Amino acid sequence: MQSTFDRRRINGPEESLPPVFISEPQDTFSNTPVARKSRKVSDIRPIFLQPGLITQANGSAYIETERTKIACSVYGPRQSKNTAYNEKGKLNVEVKFAPFSCEHRRAPLRDAEDRSIAVAIQQALLPSVQLEHFPKSTIDVFVIILEADGIEGCIASGAIAASTALANAGIDMYGLVTSCAAAVIEADIWVDPTQEESNTANGTLVLSCMPALGIVTNSWQTGRMTPSELLACIDACSGRCTDIHSVVAQGLLNSAHDET
Amino acid sequence: MASARPSPIIPTATAGKTSSHVAQKEANKAAIFQRLHPRIYLERFLEEKIRPDGRSIAQNDEGDNAWRNVEVNVGSITTASGSALVRIGNTTVVCGVKAEICEPDLDNPSEGFLVPNVDLPALCSPKFKPGPPTEEAQVLSEKLNEVLGNGMLPLSSLCIHSGKSAWVLYVDATVINYDGNVFDATLLAMVCALKNVMLPHASYDPDVNRTICTRPGVDPTKPSRKLVIQEDLVPYGFSFGVFACSHILPDPSASEEPLLDTSISIILDSHAQVLAVSQLGAGVDTEYEASGPDLDDTPARKADTLAECISLARNRLAILLNKVYDTMN
Repeated sequence: MQSTFDRRRINGPEESLPPVFISEPQDTFSNTPVARKSRKVSDIRPIFLQPGLITQANGSAYIETERTKIACSVYGPRQSKNTAYNEKGKLNVEVKFAPFSCEHRRAPLRDAEDRSIAVAIQQALLPSVQLEHFPKSTIDVFVIILEADGIEGCIASGAIAASTALANAGIDMYGLVTSCAAAVIEADIWVDPTQEESNTANGTLVLSCMPALGIVTNSWQTGRMTPSELLACIDACSGRCTDIHSVVAQGLLNSAHDET
Repeated sequence: MASARPSPIIPTATAGKTSSHVAQKEANKAAIFQRLHPRIYLERFLEEKIRPDGRSIAQNDEGDNAWRNVEVNVGSITTASGSALVRIGNTTVVCGVKAEICEPDLDNPSEGFLVPNVDLPALCSPKFKPGPPTEEAQVLSEKLNEVLGNGMLPLSSLCIHSGKSAWVLYVDATVINYDGNVFDATLLAMVCALKNVMLPHASYDPDVNRTICTRPGVDPTKPSRKLVIQEDLVPYGFSFGVFACSHILPDPSASEEPLLDTSISIILDSHAQVLAVSQLGAGVDTEYEASGPDLDDTPARKADTLAECISLARNRLAILLNKVYDTMN
């Protein structure tokens, strides 16, 4: 909490804390999952995807899956500065949380969670982009999380938005990347967990793949799960990724029709 | 420069009628010309009494057409105490308010804090890079802090227990799409987000030196409340640019902004009284106008630039207020 004074911003009091409530909801402490009301455990949250909203960017996408809201823009290919000659292009991914995106306020430059999400998204996208077509160039992918509901959902939705934005920018790719998360809760596999659900999970998996080519581009597993549970998670995720692929393709098609 | 005069530039919007291939070519030509000669591009449009995005010029200040469309959407972000999304044309700003509890300042023991900040992330425009706030963001935050600190929200209403506990409202705005006139959009987003805030009931317990809040809906005797906002003092911003000492352009877009000699911001309250005015630059040159060959001699053009902007802003305020009230209720 020390030296939070930043002369480049408007500063508030030295120290402030989020409000403390008398009756904290029980489920943040207990480990019993609350049954889903509006969807089955094998269902993902409905996706709203809109390419091309950010007119200043070469390509962009906005994705909303219930409470998770993410905007993504792509700039480039543009000249790589201050780097040695490189035959392959560089894919640069930056993720930022809006200060109001989580339960607690995200003061600028306080933690490194955004960087780990950026790495996960970059790894998911790298095998899909034909970087050898862009020597000496950088493709910048900027992601802003406006509202977060589970870090796994942020990575998955962020990767979908980023891949859509790359396609919207006309960057050469091998295929569209889609991504889905699953959690092992008690003995079951719950697809696309919310924050609350992943708090009660034994382990989670985020799987990114190119369904059109049948290739997995990234998988990120944390927590405890048996190999058979892991394989079951992969199966569940790759099935949903195929569904998401048609949503993304349709979204891109619609926006391309609107433009002409 | 004059040798390569292309035929009058056709804005992309009207291009759909001819065969799409030819239209695409024309649009590309126009885009390249704009990129190479932005100033001449804008001049040619203004000669035809129209702006590059199809708006009319403010000369006979009747029109709502001189301004871009405004959309306001409040309360869509559930993690914030209050939030608003504002779009002016393509410019998009999201603002969220986070309420936290702190100890009041020793000098003002019965006042809370209002902390507005703007972020211009690399996402919103190619001219920004990732990293600490740019100079533009710092200036913008400072300007908004001054305008919002004018008493619209009495800081004493944020006090929970004098000297011990008070609310601090972090008003953070993030620009998603930077297409000019970010100041007006951000101010509107901040005002609408503040109007949307619900503060939980809070009481200070001196025995344990802690402030305890009640979740809304748990105890009907301890309801959450809206902020105490002085409706008379709510600021609304209206920005103008002056191009080539001769044209007043309300609500400048990102392609016009770098070409402007003067930028003017008028801040009005809801009764159209002027709260603040800033003018950077000289304004319309009346000398130039009198001798200018092709400008008509209407009395309004001869008047002082600032006075004209204020009257344009007042005309616009009525329309804007209608819009805001529509979405807030």
